[in-house]
Amino acid sequence: MKENLTKGVKASEKLFWFTRVAALLMVMLMFFPAFAPTRVLAFISSGVSYFTSAISYSGLTKNLGTLGRDMMNVGGGAVPVLAIHIQLLQVFSILGIVGIAICGGGAGASLGNTKMKKLSTILSMVGSLFVGVSLALVIFIRDKMYDNAKAYDELAAAAGKTSDKLGEITGTIPYGFYVFLVLAIVVFVTSVVAFLLIPKSDKTVKYEMATKYKLFLILLPFLLLVFVFSYLPLWGWRYAFFHYEAGQPLDASRWAGTYYFTFLFKDAATRADVLKVLRNTLAMSGLGVATSWLPIAFAIMLNEIKTKWFKRVVQVFTTIPNFVSWVLVYSLAFALFSGDGFINSVFGLTGSHLEVTGPVNWLIMLAWGTWKGIGWSAIIYIAGISGIDPQLYEAATVDGASRGQKMWHITVPGLIPTFFVLLLMQIANILSNGMDQYLVFDNTSNREYLNVLDLYVYKLGIGSGNVALSTVISMTKSLVSVILLFIANGVSKLIRGESIM
Amino acid sequence: MAMSDVQKAELKAEKAYARKHKRMYRLTAGDVIFNVINYTIFALFTFACFFPFWYLFCNTVSDSDAVSKGIVKFFPKNFTFENYKNIITDSTTLRAFFVTLSRTILGTAVMVLASALIGYLVTKKELWGRKVWYRLLVITMYFNAGIIPWYMNMSMLGLTGNYLAYIIPGIVAPYNIILVKTYIESIPAELEESAFIDGASHMKIFRSIIWPLCKPILATIAIFGAVGNWNSFQDSLILMSNAPELHTLQHKLYIYLTQITSIGQNTGGVDVDPETVKKLSSQAVKYTVSMATLIPILIVYPFMQRYFEEGIMLGAVKG
Repeated sequence: MKENLTKGVKASEKLFWFTRVAALLMVMLMFFPAFAPTRVLAFISSGVSYFTSAISYSGLTKNLGTLGRDMMNVGGGAVPVLAIHIQLLQVFSILGIVGIAICGGGAGASLGNTKMKKLSTILSMVGSLFVGVSLALVIFIRDKMYDNAKAYDELAAAAGKTSDKLGEITGTIPYGFYVFLVLAIVVFVTSVVAFLLIPKSDKTVKYEMATKYKLFLILLPFLLLVFVFSYLPLWGWRYAFFHYEAGQPLDASRWAGTYYFTFLFKDAATRADVLKVLRNTLAMSGLGVATSWLPIAFAIMLNEIKTKWFKRVVQVFTTIPNFVSWVLVYSLAFALFSGDGFINSVFGLTGSHLEVTGPVNWLIMLAWGTWKGIGWSAIIYIAGISGIDPQLYEAATVDGASRGQKMWHITVPGLIPTFFVLLLMQIANILSNGMDQYLVFDNTSNREYLNVLDLYVYKLGIGSGNVALSTVISMTKSLVSVILLFIANGVSKLIRGESIM
Repeated sequence: MAMSDVQKAELKAEKAYARKHKRMYRLTAGDVIFNVINYTIFALFTFACFFPFWYLFCNTVSDSDAVSKGIVKFFPKNFTFENYKNIITDSTTLRAFFVTLSRTILGTAVMVLASALIGYLVTKKELWGRKVWYRLLVITMYFNAGIIPWYMNMSMLGLTGNYLAYIIPGIVAPYNIILVKTYIESIPAELEESAFIDGASHMKIFRSIIWPLCKPILATIAIFGAVGNWNSFQDSLILMSNAPELHTLQHKLYIYLTQITSIGQNTGGVDVDPETVKKLSSQAVKYTVSMATLIPILIVYPFMQRYFEEGIMLGAVKG
C-alpha cells in the first residue's frame, strides 16, 4: 500500500540516514575496547569494551593490581569504596548499552511507515538520552574515584606514610567518550527534528513496514558479524607499516612505512628463509597437483568392483581418515612409527621413523595427505560415474569395446569437467597448504623441509612475535592468491564458458 | 516412494537380462588378473586405513608398561581399562572434553539456525540490497587477512581467552549458506507462493515450509559443522594460550603429544605436580586421549555417511 507522504515525512527521511548511521556505529563500536568510554582510569583493563564493562565486573577489575586492592579498603576497611564505584561504573555501562540497543531498534523502525517512523523517533530520543546520561555518569564516577584516591593519600599522609594514588590513577578522558557523545548527540538531534516534522497518524493506521526492509533487518545482525569477523581483520594490515612490539599500543609504535616490505628482500637471512619456505610450499602444492588424478583413479577402480559389500567396506573405511584431525593423525603416526611404535616392535628395528631428514619428507607428507583425503575426494567422482548414462556403456559393449577402453573413453571424459574445476581451485590455492599437518609433524630433523608458508607465518607472528613481517607476508600471500583465483576463473571462463566462483 | 508394478516388472526383466548377459560374456584371463590386482589393492588400502585406528585402540587397552616398552603388536597386551580410568579421573582432560563437547553442540546449533535463515533470506527477491549482501558474504571465502591480523582483531574484540571465541565467529558460515541457498532454490516455488497467497508472513513460511523441507541439507551442514568444531585446534592454540582451562581436546592432545617428543620443552604452561606428570606422560595415556577424541567421530560416522555424500554433491553445484 502506498502512503501519501507529507513534505515533513519526506524531509525526515534524509535526517533518518544520519540517525541510522550513527546508531549503527554505536552498535558496532560498543564491542571495541579501543572505543570504550568506560576506560576512564588507567587501571581499567584496555581489553574491556563498553559492552564487556556492562556485562563483566571481573573484566573491569582485571587489572586492578595492588593499587586497587589498597583503595578497595579506604575508610578503614569497613567500606570498600572503590568496589562500589566500580559496580556503579558497571551499572552506568548497562544503562548505555540498553540505550544503544534502543537506538538500534529506533533506527530499524525508521524504515517503516509514517506511524512507525514517529515511534522510531521517540525510541531514538530515549535511547540517545540513556547513552548521554550513561556517559555523564561515567565521568561523574571518575571524579568520585579521584576524590577517593585523594582521600586515600591524605589518610596515608596522616598515618605518616607516603602514598601517591592520585598520581598513579590519573587518566585522560578516553576518546571513546567523545565518539559516543557525538554519536548520541547526532541521534538525539536528528530524531527530535524528525519527530517535529512527522505528523501524528490516525489511530486506525497500523504499524507497518515494507517487506524488503523487514527482511533486511533480520539479515542485518548477520551482516554485522560478517563485517566484524571477515572484513575488519583487513584493518589489521596496518601492522605491516609499524615497528610494532607486542604489549604496547599501536599508536605508540614508530611508523615503518615500507621498511618490512623491503626487509623481506634485503635481509639475507630472511630472504633465505622465505625462499626455503616457498620451495617447500611449491613442492607440496606441486606434488598435490601432480597427484590430483588419484581420486579419479580410485573412483574408477572402485567402480570396477562388483562385490557390493566389499565396495561398501572399502568406502566406509577409506573415508574415515578425512574426519579425524591432523593432531590425531600425528598420534596414529606416532603409534606406528615412533621409537616404541608398531614398526619397531614387529620388525625389531630401533629409533624413531618420524625424524627423517631430506626432501623425502615431502613424499611422507604427501602420503599422509593422500591417506587422509583420497577416499573422501573420490566420493564426488563416484557420484559422477553413477551419473554417466549407462546407454553409453551398452553401446560401447555392443561395438566390442574392452573394459579398459570403456573406462578410458567413457568414464574418464565424463569426469573431466569436475576434475578440471577442482584442479583450477587447487592451483589457485597453491600458496595455502594449511598449517595443521605441518605443525603437528614438525620436529628438528624435518623442519627444513616441512616449513610451508602458512606455518612460517604462524611461527613468525605468534611464535617469534615478529608481527610486522608476518603481516607483510600474509598480505602478499592474500594478494597473490586473489590474483591466482582470478586467473583460474578467467581460464575456466575461456575454456568452459563458466566461472568457478 | 513406492514403485509401481510396471516399474517392478521392468526391474525384474533388467535383472534377468543382466544375468543372461553375464553368462554370455566369459571373463577373459586379462579380466581375472585385473580383478585380482584391483581387489588386492583395495583390500590393502582399506586395511591401511583401518589398521592405525585398531593399533591405537590396542595400545589404549594394554598395560601402560607394555606400551612404553613397545611390545604391543597386533593385539592388546595384558588387557586393562586402567588408561581410561586415568584420563577420566584427570580433571584437565575431562574439562577439555566438556569444553569441546559444548562448543560442538552450541556452535553447530547456532551455525545451522543462522545458515538456514540467511540461506532463506538471500533467496528472497524482495530483500533490500540482496545481491550486494550475498556477494559480500560469498567473497569472504576467497580471501583471508592472515593469522596476525586475525589474532589482533580477535584480541581487540576481547575474544582471546574467551569461550565465546569458539561460538560467535562460526555463526555465519558462507559455504554452508551457499549449500542451503542452492537447496532452497530447488524447492518448487509454488509451495511458497500458495502459502504467501494464504497470507502467511515470510517468517511463518520459513518456519512451517522451508525449515521442514530443508532438513536433509541442514543435517548435512550440521554434521560438517560438528566435525569441524570437534576437530578445531587452531583457534584454541592461538587464542587460548593464556587460558588453559579453555583448551579444546585436540589442543590438549597436541600438548600431550609434543610433550613426549620433547620432554620438558613444552609443558603447555600448566603447573601440575610431578606425580600427575608422570602418570599422564605415559604413552598409553596419550593414546587413550587420542582415542577419546576419536570415539565421538566414530559414533556419529554411521549416521553421517548418507548425509555427507549428499553434501559433497551439492557442494559441487556452484553457489
